[in-house]
Amino acid sequence: MGRVAGKKLFSIMALCAMVGLLLLPIAVSLPSLAMGADAPDAVKKDGEAKVEKGRDVYYKTEGIAIGAPAPKTVDGPRDYPRYNFESRVLLWFANQQHLYYGSFVLAVPIFCMVIEFMGVVTKDKAMAKRYDQLAYDFIKISLTAYSLTAILGGILIFTFLTLYPAFFGYLSGIFRPVMHIYALMFVAESGTLYIYYYGWDKMKEGFLKWIHLSMSVILNVIGTLLMFLANSWIGFMMSPAGVDEQGRFLGNIWHVIHTALWNPLNVHRILGNMAFGGGVVAAYAAYKFLASKTDEDRAHYDWMGYIAMALGVAFLIPLPFAGYWLMREVYAYRQQMGITLMGGLLAWLFIIQATMIGILFLSTNYYLWQALGRMRGAEKYQRYIKYLVFVLCCGYLVFITPHTIVMTPAELKAMGGQQHPVLGNYGVMSAKNGGINVIITTTILSFVWYMRGNKVSTVSWSKFGNIFMGIFFGCAYVNIIWLAIYGYYIPANVRVGLSVPQVATTLSCLFFMFALNTAMMKGAKQMGAIEWGKISVRSQYALIMLATAFTWMMGLMGYIRSSVRLFWHVNEIMRDNSPWAYTHTVGFAANMISFNVLFFWVSILFVFWLGSLGLKKAPVEAKAGVPGAAPQPAGGH
Amino acid sequence: MKALMLVAALIGAAGIVLLAGMVVGIVPSNTVRLIEGYMPVQVIAELTLFVAGFTGLSYMMAAMGMVFPRFWQGILFWAFILLYLKFRIYPPIPFSVRAMYGTVSLVAIFMWVSANEEDWNKFKQPIMNVLDAKTGGKRLLRYAYLVILPILIGGFSYNSMVPKSEEPIELRTVHPAPPASTKVHGKTYTLQTSQNPYRTNLEGKYDQDYSNAMTVEQGMGRLMKPNANPWDKDAQGYLKYVREGGEIFYQNCHFCHGDNLNGRGLHAFAFNPIPANFTDPGTIAQLQETFIFWRVSKGGIGLPNEGFPWASVMPPWEQHLTVDEIWKVVLFEYWHTGYYPRTWD
Repeated sequence: MGRVAGKKLFSIMALCAMVGLLLLPIAVSLPSLAMGADAPDAVKKDGEAKVEKGRDVYYKTEGIAIGAPAPKTVDGPRDYPRYNFESRVLLWFANQQHLYYGSFVLAVPIFCMVIEFMGVVTKDKAMAKRYDQLAYDFIKISLTAYSLTAILGGILIFTFLTLYPAFFGYLSGIFRPVMHIYALMFVAESGTLYIYYYGWDKMKEGFLKWIHLSMSVILNVIGTLLMFLANSWIGFMMSPAGVDEQGRFLGNIWHVIHTALWNPLNVHRILGNMAFGGGVVAAYAAYKFLASKTDEDRAHYDWMGYIAMALGVAFLIPLPFAGYWLMREVYAYRQQMGITLMGGLLAWLFIIQATMIGILFLSTNYYLWQALGRMRGAEKYQRYIKYLVFVLCCGYLVFITPHTIVMTPAELKAMGGQQHPVLGNYGVMSAKNGGINVIITTTILSFVWYMRGNKVSTVSWSKFGNIFMGIFFGCAYVNIIWLAIYGYYIPANVRVGLSVPQVATTLSCLFFMFALNTAMMKGAKQMGAIEWGKISVRSQYALIMLATAFTWMMGLMGYIRSSVRLFWHVNEIMRDNSPWAYTHTVGFAANMISFNVLFFWVSILFVFWLGSLGLKKAPVEAKAGVPGAAPQPAGGH
Repeated sequence: MKALMLVAALIGAAGIVLLAGMVVGIVPSNTVRLIEGYMPVQVIAELTLFVAGFTGLSYMMAAMGMVFPRFWQGILFWAFILLYLKFRIYPPIPFSVRAMYGTVSLVAIFMWVSANEEDWNKFKQPIMNVLDAKTGGKRLLRYAYLVILPILIGGFSYNSMVPKSEEPIELRTVHPAPPASTKVHGKTYTLQTSQNPYRTNLEGKYDQDYSNAMTVEQGMGRLMKPNANPWDKDAQGYLKYVREGGEIFYQNCHFCHGDNLNGRGLHAFAFNPIPANFTDPGTIAQLQETFIFWRVSKGGIGLPNEGFPWASVMPPWEQHLTVDEIWKVVLFEYWHTGYYPRTWD
């Protein structure tokens, strides 16, 4: 007994020591932070005459200008050294690949944490083992990807240094302490990840398992902070703060980090990374499913794909709302930036984005309908699917209708003006808010059907529950559509606010209906088991489509966010005077995004292949992950 | 249930007859009128009715022992959507949007017919029959496809590649991003923060709620609110400025933008594109007043680079009107259309 207590004490001490060591880089880098504040004093000592004050372009506070002004670059080898190729495209490629891998390795440990936690708290031992093995499979995939992320990060920095030295010099001058903290935290992240991965077997039982789980929390906290810091750079480039009009740093590093768009970007990127990570793992599972030769393997990868898809979609549902908040903040920061994005130069890219969002939701719904096929008793829902298809597609068609229509001059004449009396109404925000909320609510309905697919409620109030649920969804649709129409009759500032009740309606469906359904299905009569692996191959292609659409959309949104600065390196502070300070055509951008997507998928297939090599070396361990009689997963049911 | 389905089937049949009439030109597109202002909802409602109608037809045919094959259901429903978009909705929808809608419809039909194994098998059965070609007729059909499909694909490829004499497609930016500020008659206006000096209450203070309450009602007719007639001799403050703006509008702008501000003025059709339709919810209703002030002041010639191909012949009105007159015209345009300028508070 004493020995066990000692072991626990030792484990806690070891965990505390590790946390302390991991936080050390931050403590070490604190003096760098403080230097910003000390510097003015140093300047003062040299003489009052040298002190120059500046006004923060965003916060409007006064401060002592301690940084150099943003360089006024000229096109030439000094500021823009180059190969015989467009430097911007090279940077685009390096940046996008780093972001893909970065997102993946930030998202997967969060999944691991959730799945490992589910394994720890599940009472069913067989199930717990399966969850644990799944979490281990996930982290194994991300380990090779982690190395690639670091390599791509290095390539990105070298690309910046060699092709955009003046700009990178200025940015690193402003973010000097932040970049140091970032680098040190990367070390901490690596250390934690390796201990977490290699310590899996050593810490698989009892109290040590909780210590292991705690490490996954630490890992994710560090990862999230890393992303926040990287976001501060792009936030600064889009909506600079903490500098004066000349771009001189005013001594307050928090202002430089905490720009107008930092928080919306943080929220949007966390959710986006999670949805993307879920999509990639689901595609991995789909690929393995399609390549499986045994029923056991098919069952395992079917289950893995389902869990990854469910986690990804859980974060996909709030993603449009986070995006909406980001756009709102963009408009609030600079009206012309908002108009360039959504009504002007980049508006067509937003139509493509809407199309991709629609594809994500259509794929999800399609997968869920296909998944009903592996449940006995779910046949009763099949005949209603066509109505869901209709509702989904009506929402989708409204959502993708462009405001600026591509047309020939002859079509323009025939239409009698730039605006179409029907399509013009679908092309504006009020209708689109209605469209996307209808799509999400329908997806929630599909999930509810899936969750009760093979069950019949046995609670005494099941009839009342079903009627209530039907009325609730009906009212939700009416409310969403009515608010979308009402939006045309009220001032724009009120109309923007209408999105709140629409979102609240959708989220009410999500939370209340899931909760009600769970309560109704407690102790429900099973019509038949879920036959994992007995799902159509079309469903797996839907998962691959989901992942590809995620990847493409990430590339597209990154391009939109970056190109909205137009001819600025740092918006309104540092002008881009390279020959490439123009906006690419939609066609070129689409080709470039497709190339990035293709490269990512080819390279990640290599990562998957490496993972499978490890699997072959440890067949006994791999066998443990294969489900036996395919019990039902928690969470899904 | 059967009665309900019968009603739906009748609706479906009537709809098909009407649409067929429109396609062959016997029935005019506006036989069942699309009402201005209600068109978007009406189109979705019509499509919903059609879907209900087709469900009813399918149900009734099955009840009478004439099961309509799933394959043909899918194909014909897609054809219906394409014909509906082309012949029912007017003015005609540009091809780019019809192509988007057609693709989405095709995906939707695929999702419907392949939602479960049984339906999917039913749908692909005729295709499999032709591919298997176990009868003479099917074999003939397979050979026919072997010849026809490459010709069709070749035809489409040729058609898309052959040089055409028609004008190229324009991806025109309808609302180019405005500058941060604009200088008119020597004074700089910051677009994000400037306000219309005539949008005031009786005490002379800027008051959008006050002016919003006096704009005309939206929808059909655009009726004036009671006691909010700018042409009343006693009208003061905001309403008086609206009247003055209206006078300037009818002296200078209505020749192109039209009496009803719908872009169909006397000279409108001499231009391509025709002037902006302010009654459309996609124009001034989406914008800040300062945006309109900037566009009116600077005209087509003042459009920024992203306004390419600068297809606007609007004069820079700062050369003809005073700043006050421009603000009053903007005030009148919002009052007359019943829209509220965008604000950020």
